[in-house]
Amino acid sequence: MDTKPPSYRHTTRLFLVIGIALVLAVIVRSQLVPESFGEIGHYRADAIEEATQFELRHLGREACAECHDDIVDLHAKDAHARVPCESCHGAGAKHVAAEGDGEIHRPEGKQVCLICHRMLAARPGEFAQIDVEAHFAFVGVEDPQTLCVDCHSPHEPLFMDRDLRQARLHPLIHRCRDCHIGRTDDTLPRPEGHPAIFECDYCHAEVAAGFAERPHNGVRCTACHLFFKETESAGRILRDSDPRFCLLCHRDAPFRSDDAPPGIDWPDHRETMAEDDNDLDKRCIDCHQDRIHPLQTRTAAAGEE
Amino acid sequence: MGDKRNTSRREMLKLMAAGSALLVFPIGPLLASEERQHGNGAKGPYWAYAIDTARCIGCCACMRGCRDENDVPEDVFRTWVERYRIGMDGEVRVDVATSIDHIFEPIEGDVANAFFVPKLCNHCEKSVCNQVCPVGAAFNTPDGVALVDQEHCIGCGYCVQACPYGSRFINPHTHMANKCTFCYHRITRGLAPACVHSCPREVRIYGDLNDPKSKLSILLRQRSYRLLKPELGTHPKCYYLGLGREVV
Repeated sequence: MDTKPPSYRHTTRLFLVIGIALVLAVIVRSQLVPESFGEIGHYRADAIEEATQFELRHLGREACAECHDDIVDLHAKDAHARVPCESCHGAGAKHVAAEGDGEIHRPEGKQVCLICHRMLAARPGEFAQIDVEAHFAFVGVEDPQTLCVDCHSPHEPLFMDRDLRQARLHPLIHRCRDCHIGRTDDTLPRPEGHPAIFECDYCHAEVAAGFAERPHNGVRCTACHLFFKETESAGRILRDSDPRFCLLCHRDAPFRSDDAPPGIDWPDHRETMAEDDNDLDKRCIDCHQDRIHPLQTRTAAAGEE
Repeated sequence: MGDKRNTSRREMLKLMAAGSALLVFPIGPLLASEERQHGNGAKGPYWAYAIDTARCIGCCACMRGCRDENDVPEDVFRTWVERYRIGMDGEVRVDVATSIDHIFEPIEGDVANAFFVPKLCNHCEKSVCNQVCPVGAAFNTPDGVALVDQEHCIGCGYCVQACPYGSRFINPHTHMANKCTFCYHRITRGLAPACVHSCPREVRIYGDLNDPKSKLSILLRQRSYRLLKPELGTHPKCYYLGLGREVV
């Protein structure tokens, strides 16, 4: 029998094709798969470094304080202390890079304040919320076009005379809306069987009784003794005796109605009434304390409620 | 020989009994009884996020901050704030501030409860978005941040579809997937993300889960929290404190 030696030509060709295909695949892959792909995981490791390269836009209040330290200091002691500068003024990097010439956002109009302070049912009860109509009625503003900043400086909205952080912790002062969603009227009578809540006159009975007989009696204690809730059961309370705080209600201004609280021309009033130079530093309560309440402020709760 | 066979039968029966007891009393959970730890145990930080919803006032400063910091185009959001309103009839309505300045308007009608819920990418430990990306452009960094490779993404949108939290979108300018980067350029420089930085109420808290003394780790030990859609097994790293049960 004539047996030919087996021919491997077809398999050689096959291996040759597979080999070329493999070499091609390796070349193509090396071109297509990006550098650093797979070094850490199934992704390009360099992408992590690239993500860190994005430029900063918000620089923080330290950057603002380099030029505006006076405003930053004012701001740090008042009710807006926790509001970052860039929350209202927008990111400051451009402004800083241009050494103050670059644009910075200057919010205008009532709507800007109301972004945070408009009365909304979903807002936490302890947060300061304004129903513009009711607030204007309370302080006797008749011109509806009046702006928030006509009375409240945004950097120092309540003209606090002390740093809020220095104020002592005080038991929680409840408002109806702390528990009742959307309940804004604190004068509503409580239903029978309503749980007892901690109230000002529990400890300060004498003051509260004296207060009721004087001209401010329609005003809530916390309108002047500002209360800022910090925990579930306590917050910081502060008596604000800066004259500008009294003037929030008592300033003589063209936008006020006739039945507004008595208007004062400030600081002319102090200058006219002053008997000597020492009187030029007086605050409102130095002369008018008797119109508010008796001076004793800390009276321990006597007996039972 | 007979004795020997009897013994082995007894042992066999014992083994079978023990084996079937295993079916009745699963030991898996006993072995894994140690509480799931936060953090990944690696060296370096492992970033995560907490949101104290009860403090949120819905001012949307976070959204404006995010937009300014990251050049997010109009009409798309890396973070957003939802308002939940539970009606007297128990019906849950959710709305989002959509105007350019993100302002919530008052809505008439009595509600049983209402609150704001800020949302953003949950930077899941087991991200779905990463698993579906056909080109490996969606990934989690070793420090726990879900990112999109902006050089490599082909804009197919699979990840946008896959994300159970709706955190991703296609950037209308670059036509690539885009999402919250946890302000990676800020946190790697030791600064807070823009939304944390802008929040006037300290609603948003970010921190390092690998550091037991970080503010976030302490909060998670002290307070109860909820995760969004935990049943999906994505292990989200956005911890919600005081979240209403209506939110999913």
